[in-house]
Amino acid sequence: MKHHFWKNIGAIAIGSAIGTSLRYYLNLYTLATGYPIGTIIENLGGSLLLGFLTGWFIIKVPREWLKAGLGVGLCGGFTTMSTLASDSVYLFLEHTWWLSVVYILLSIFGGIVCALAGYIVGQKAGKRQASREVEQG
Amino acid sequence: MNLLLVSVGGAIGAILRYLLGLVIMNRFPTPPFPVAMLIVNVLGSLGLGLFYGSYYGAIPLGAYEEPAFLLIAIGFFGAFTTFSTFSTETVQLYQQKAWKPLIAYISLTIVGSITMFVFGFSITKLT
Repeated sequence: MKHHFWKNIGAIAIGSAIGTSLRYYLNLYTLATGYPIGTIIENLGGSLLLGFLTGWFIIKVPREWLKAGLGVGLCGGFTTMSTLASDSVYLFLEHTWWLSVVYILLSIFGGIVCALAGYIVGQKAGKRQASREVEQG
Repeated sequence: MNLLLVSVGGAIGAILRYLLGLVIMNRFPTPPFPVAMLIVNVLGSLGLGLFYGSYYGAIPLGAYEEPAFLLIAIGFFGAFTTFSTFSTETVQLYQQKAWKPLIAYISLTIVGSITMFVFGFSITKLT
């Protein structure tokens, strides 16, 4: 139990370090647009990936540290809610209220649709992989 | 150097999110909706508001060369809060056809995060 715990912690630290670094670069390269496009890409892309992993892992149950590192660490570190909150307020104050509303709605509905799509595809991919392994014995 | 700062902040933030999630789930083993990540996201947004208000007195744009911004805003609070778990948990509520918890989870997360960010930001101006 203790041993597993520290393995999870290590995997989460590495996963999140990678996810956060990728988010940093994406933010940096989309900074010139003046809009939080980077955060939208991160939150939608991360939702797609976590949805996929969740669907896949239901069929193909992974080791706990792998699940924690990819889900809690990589996807969790790549996506963010606090920046979404500050972006919404920033757009409201510095641009227009409707741009803030569009940003929030696009993030929420886009994120949920991406997570659902990822989940469906992930589950199918997991089943295909599992049946292939059965065929091969 | 910048990469090291965001990596360290991000690693600490995610570990803290994981531990807080475990503690909350221990205390509320069968919540009506994913209360652990709601608390984490609202707390993290409050923290970012406090940080921006006290350190900058504004919402900074393009502070990407500043160590404190990279470590605390992008790294720590960025990774402590999460969006992917929020959207995936919403999908699970959708599949369970748990409509009321779904609506409650989405609205409490979004309204709570934005409100607490503004609250954290504003109270730094009072002191």
